[in-house]
Amino acid sequence: METRTFETKYLDKWKSNLDSCIRCGYCYEHCPVFKDTRWESDAPRAKMIMIYGLLSGKLEPSTYISDKLSSCFYCGRCVAACSSGVPLNEIITDAKRDFQGTEFETPGTTSVTNTDCALCLACVRSCPHEAREFISGKIFTDTVKCQSCGLCVDICPNQAVATLLSYGTDRSSLNQEVATFLDKDNAKAIVFGCNWSYFPDLQSSAMDLEKDPEYKILINMCGGRLEKPLLLEPLLQNAWGVLVACCPDGDCEHDGNVKAATHVAGLRELLKEMDIAEDRIQLVQIAHGDKTGFQAAIDTFMETVNQLGPLNPR
Amino acid sequence: MEKKDVLRLKDIVGKKNVKTDPADLYVYGSDSSVHSARPWVVVRPENTEQVQEIMAFANKEKIPVVTRGAGSGMCGQTVPVKGGITLDMKRMNKILEINPSDVFCRVQPGVVDDDLNHALKPFGVFYPPTPASSRIATIGGEIGNNASGVRSVKYGATRDSVLGMKVVLPDGSLVTLGARTRVEATGYQLHKLIVGSEGTLGVVVEATLSFVPIPKFRCLGMANFDRLEDAGAAIADIMASGVIPSMLELVDSVAIKAVNKTMDLGLPEVEAVLLYEADAMVKEAVDHEINAMQEVCKKHNGAGLTSSYDPKERAKIFMGRKKLFPALSKFSDILSSTSLADDMAVPYSKMAETAKKIHEIAARNNIIMTAYGHCGSGCMHTKILMEPTRQDQWESARKAVAEIYEYVRSVKGTTSAEHGIGISKASAFKAEKHDSLDLMRNIKKAFDPNNILNPGKLMDAHEDWVTATDLRYTIA
Repeated sequence: METRTFETKYLDKWKSNLDSCIRCGYCYEHCPVFKDTRWESDAPRAKMIMIYGLLSGKLEPSTYISDKLSSCFYCGRCVAACSSGVPLNEIITDAKRDFQGTEFETPGTTSVTNTDCALCLACVRSCPHEAREFISGKIFTDTVKCQSCGLCVDICPNQAVATLLSYGTDRSSLNQEVATFLDKDNAKAIVFGCNWSYFPDLQSSAMDLEKDPEYKILINMCGGRLEKPLLLEPLLQNAWGVLVACCPDGDCEHDGNVKAATHVAGLRELLKEMDIAEDRIQLVQIAHGDKTGFQAAIDTFMETVNQLGPLNPR
Repeated sequence: MEKKDVLRLKDIVGKKNVKTDPADLYVYGSDSSVHSARPWVVVRPENTEQVQEIMAFANKEKIPVVTRGAGSGMCGQTVPVKGGITLDMKRMNKILEINPSDVFCRVQPGVVDDDLNHALKPFGVFYPPTPASSRIATIGGEIGNNASGVRSVKYGATRDSVLGMKVVLPDGSLVTLGARTRVEATGYQLHKLIVGSEGTLGVVVEATLSFVPIPKFRCLGMANFDRLEDAGAAIADIMASGVIPSMLELVDSVAIKAVNKTMDLGLPEVEAVLLYEADAMVKEAVDHEINAMQEVCKKHNGAGLTSSYDPKERAKIFMGRKKLFPALSKFSDILSSTSLADDMAVPYSKMAETAKKIHEIAARNNIIMTAYGHCGSGCMHTKILMEPTRQDQWESARKAVAEIYEYVRSVKGTTSAEHGIGISKASAFKAEKHDSLDLMRNIKKAFDPNNILNPGKLMDAHEDWVTATDLRYTIA
């Protein structure tokens, strides 16, 4: 495929905004990508510094930089945390625009479709960002329009859509985390938290406890992306319970919370049919940034789980 | 740096904990200061043994090593002016022990300040130095800087809370400094020397910190002053009255205008606002201190006195101060807020005069400067708002910074209160400490004979901060 030369055509207009970024770093503590890798190069501040490097000619464009700039879930937490009012989301989109069609273009966290695609076009119809198109018998993702919300990944009946760089938010990474945690002596429950409702403290530091903690919080990009098999997996591995935290009604732009509620309700029914206490799986709605509510919900859930005791379905 | 050296580092910390891409080096070459340089490699150690191995290797090969926490420093402390290895300590992020009966905790250097306080909260205690950047600042970085914040007036700076530490020296050896006790009179207190040494003496791999009880009652008040001098007199009187506020903040007219312009908070456009807070375990004690401070404010023509115990009300009163940073950054589309002459400390009686002097110097040099700070601890902050792409503005900034610190020295103040020296305050620091620089150089030599730890900083920094490194801005 023919490529074009990289130019900072769309990025040029942001020069003065990038000058006003005071590089305080307050953005990176909120970034799910940074929280996964803990490399500063993956944080929003680094994205801005790299773009400044491209604009000032101090950095040459590369696939590596394109990959870093395309790795964004558009949660907007960096924008909310920015003390200088830098519109990071818009700048990142323009960076992707400048990289699009060049030899350096990479998908980053945007979704790709593999050969298992049955061309049902459900992803094309459901994409809220109009990023997926059906052209000449194939499905393409517009890397500029895609905001890595993951709706297409979730909706695909053939599991043919994936994000190549998921930063710990994809099914297999979450399953792996579940398995690793539940292998520990004191492990009892898994808490799935939504990045948009509340991302807990103590994610950049860790307690070195004598005893292993009783529960593990795993952050995903949206409650709606938690499929039933994933929610059931901890219980299959003898966890005592699973708590799902998602946004309150009306807060989720993808209605992911509605979907999460449906999944959890279905699984509660299933547990009931199997004569297992349905309260072993629960859903709680947490408003954006409600740290106290999140912790209180976990404490109440753990109380219930401890009363129920270990699960031994066989 | 030769390929074999990078391979050696990969052997020590594992391939995935080493970065050499130009983009990574560019990112790790800057912090929240105006400076920019590039390391040769970024390395993330996971434990003390790895740090020891890295240091022994770097010392043998005479490769510079710059230790880095969050990279939120404002004076270029972690900008690697001589290249070398940047040690990203964020992977050493474990809270090792919380011991409520002996009143200490042990942490690794990469622990984030807010995370530590989150973990301490169930014990009813807090770690008090807490700078404004506590949500990202690491304990290691705070030790390097002797960081402090709004509550330093009552609870002191980092140095006051550090009981001891483990430090890897440049030759790779590990030393244990200080103790786990509240007092110590056992020879040189070398752990106190490490605090504020900006990564030039050793790599802190563990710190033992003290904490204090979370007060049950906290009350915040505000007073407006038509004349800056009156606010200054009130500060000096409050501090001389025997009251120990848990916070005493000054916000000047430029800052008030900035907040009003960008946030539409409708603050009274007076010459100065004072924010004062008291905390204690019993309400009567807080009442007493708040009343005493309000009496002093009234005596010095303070108006619009308000105070509240309610957290929501307190947040409302504090809003103007809290929104100051964003207000300054958004003050104008063409002006950028640069971290220059960013902090200093002066005697209480000179606070108002210092604020006036800052305004005077700014006007004379055609830049905008504001004055605000934790005046209860004598700390004054400012920022220079300028067009960073214009060369003449840098000439003005250079002149203004020199004039400000000359004034600070003239009133027996000090170059830095809590942000440290790094590169941008080095010339002022050298002028202030001129008769002890050789002593400091000898201390540095005793710790680091090959000068590999954060070289080119403090007493060895370039005389002219504008040309010491590349500036992060592109100058037309």
